[in-house]
Amino acid sequence: MKANTHTIEEERKKIEYLLEDLTSLENYTKDLFNFFPIPICVVSSIGIILEANPSLEKITGYQIEELIGKGIEELFKIEDIDNLTKEIFEKELVKGKEVTLLTKEKKEIPVSVYARLRKTEQGEAIGYFLGFFDLTEIKKFQEQLQEKINELERLREKEIILRMEESAKSADIEKRVKEFEDTRKALMNILEDAEEARKKAEEERNQTLAIINNFVDGILVFDKNRKLSLINPQAENFFSVKGEDIIGRSISELGTFPTLKPLLNLVGEEIKGVFRKELSIKETLILEVTTIPMIREGERIGSLVILHDITREKMIERMKSEFVSIAAHQLRTPLSAIKWTLKMILDGDLGEVPKEQREFLEKTYQSNERIINLINDLLNVSRIEEGRYLYKPILTDFIPILDSLIDSYKEEIKKKNLKLKLKKPQKLPKVKVDVEKISLAIQNLLENAIRYNKESGEIEINLKEKGKEIEFSIRDTGIGIPKDQQNRVFTKFFRGYNAIKMETEGSGLGLFITKNIIEAHGGKIWFESEEGKGTTFYFTLPIVQKT
Amino acid sequence: MSQELTKELAQKLLGIKGEARGVAFKTDREYVLRKKGEEYLKKVEKELERLGYPIKYEEIKSMDFYPIGLRILSLLVIKEVLNLNDDAIKEMGLVATKSSLIIKILAKYFLSLQRVFSIESPKIWKKHYTIGEIEPVELNEEKKYAILRLKDFKVHKIMCSYLGGYFCGVAQLITKTSKIEFKETKCPFLGDEYHEFLLTWK
Repeated sequence: MKANTHTIEEERKKIEYLLEDLTSLENYTKDLFNFFPIPICVVSSIGIILEANPSLEKITGYQIEELIGKGIEELFKIEDIDNLTKEIFEKELVKGKEVTLLTKEKKEIPVSVYARLRKTEQGEAIGYFLGFFDLTEIKKFQEQLQEKINELERLREKEIILRMEESAKSADIEKRVKEFEDTRKALMNILEDAEEARKKAEEERNQTLAIINNFVDGILVFDKNRKLSLINPQAENFFSVKGEDIIGRSISELGTFPTLKPLLNLVGEEIKGVFRKELSIKETLILEVTTIPMIREGERIGSLVILHDITREKMIERMKSEFVSIAAHQLRTPLSAIKWTLKMILDGDLGEVPKEQREFLEKTYQSNERIINLINDLLNVSRIEEGRYLYKPILTDFIPILDSLIDSYKEEIKKKNLKLKLKKPQKLPKVKVDVEKISLAIQNLLENAIRYNKESGEIEINLKEKGKEIEFSIRDTGIGIPKDQQNRVFTKFFRGYNAIKMETEGSGLGLFITKNIIEAHGGKIWFESEEGKGTTFYFTLPIVQKT
Repeated sequence: MSQELTKELAQKLLGIKGEARGVAFKTDREYVLRKKGEEYLKKVEKELERLGYPIKYEEIKSMDFYPIGLRILSLLVIKEVLNLNDDAIKEMGLVATKSSLIIKILAKYFLSLQRVFSIESPKIWKKHYTIGEIEPVELNEEKKYAILRLKDFKVHKIMCSYLGGYFCGVAQLITKTSKIEFKETKCPFLGDEYHEFLLTWK
């Protein structure tokens, strides 16, 4: 009995130990199950959740009581769980299969599933353990990573593009460097050319300077500010100055040099245009002054003054004039004697002259007259050139002078059947003229109008008051003056080639004398002419006193 | 109408013949903790102490056997402390299946409704209580109902609700339905010879 009691007590104790161990095991299993940070569940063979841990509770939003007894398919997309279940039962072990977990709130969570088939001791499948790993963060990280990768890819693409651009730029830079190199070479060539041109220009300049310095004419160059920039040795000699003293000085400053003053008086402050003007510097030096504006690209860059020494020419001219004067005087005396002798014979003062002789005598008389006239002209010219052609002005009425002259040429006008028109006012202010000289001037013009007019042509004389002057004009319908010869009309001994052709006689001194007479009276003379149609000469005389 | 808990009642209950597995106390504890927390568990333990039967739920061994009267007293005290109605007691029974170690152990046999109903349910009962017997009466999976009888188990009326819920909980583990109900069609406390439960689901 005692032994039995002992045995029962021992068995009771064993059971007690077993129960304690079971409880410990239960707690251990429970603690372990609850501890797992990853969601775990036990699923029956028919797909019902039999056990779930707090992590599953947390991720799904279902309470454990709700989860247990729930079909596992409610937690996953149907296609996912079908494939998963099939795979678990086929392979018994599934690792890392990605499926989508559905929460209570119908939220989809990407999870990686791990499953192991449960079997009885007899090998019968009784369900499976299922654990899954929340991929949300990983997915998010993957997405972020992918985004970063994409961004990196984009950056890389950008970098590639940039590199390509840089490469292109490098190529561009290389191209530009080459262009610059080419440009540099071109510039060097240009510089070489420029240097060559400069040397050439310098040579030319030196040559020009040599020419200028050795030029027989004096040369002065003024810059655009009218400051003297160059004077050659010849000009230095003319004015007895040294270039270094006067170069860079203005016109007004140059005026302080006495020898230069006459020149500056002639050309003026503005260096006006002068063409072959005589300038007497001293008794032994007469210069012919010409100023030429220097124009470049339409802009006046300075003035050139050319001084031609005409002292010798003037001396020869004077000597010639003196000779002509003496010769003319010497010739005129016997010719006058011949004239009057012939006149007496022809007038019958010395007896009757037979007709045959008369004709010869008349021709001789006319020839003598022409020679006298020529000598008179030569004397006039000589006087003009010698400056001795002084007129004796008197205040007089111009119209009677004109009427008288016209009257004296009536016969010749009639002879050539010319039509004379005279337009004149009733009265004109008086002018101060040398009647003899002014008559000679009008006479020369009237003679030309008659001589070089065509038969039955016209002569129109117009006299009028114009401002402070009286203006005389005489128009003919004659041969006119060839255009290319018009600039020589008032020079000595000039005769137009058409005039020579038409009328062999004529000294070519008349218009020269006329011009000198008019200008000596303070007037001006000019003309308009067209070859074959006629010529109009004009002159003016200043009015001194109005009546 | 709730029954007043007194030491006399407790003593009377403790006089009931038969034992229950400690796992029932464990599931009670889980329920209180999840519903109301530690504070209420202490209140429950204190009330049991007042009634002269101090229980430390933590120290209960799931696999050990305890007086069935104590198991009934635990339910009654929880009902009173937590102010539960019959439906809550049913819920307690249902939820108990989900934390019961014994159910977890037996779950490996939950391969089909038919098997659980016919074979496993009597075993499950035997694993929990030393008195009473489960008799599977009818299972109609097509019409989705089952009839179970519990014989020789006239212990306390509160167990009717609790066990009805418990049966629903077990059924839920094999039917994949969240909507399962029971009706006690026969009860010894109503003059019947046994308890008969009609389980229906959708």
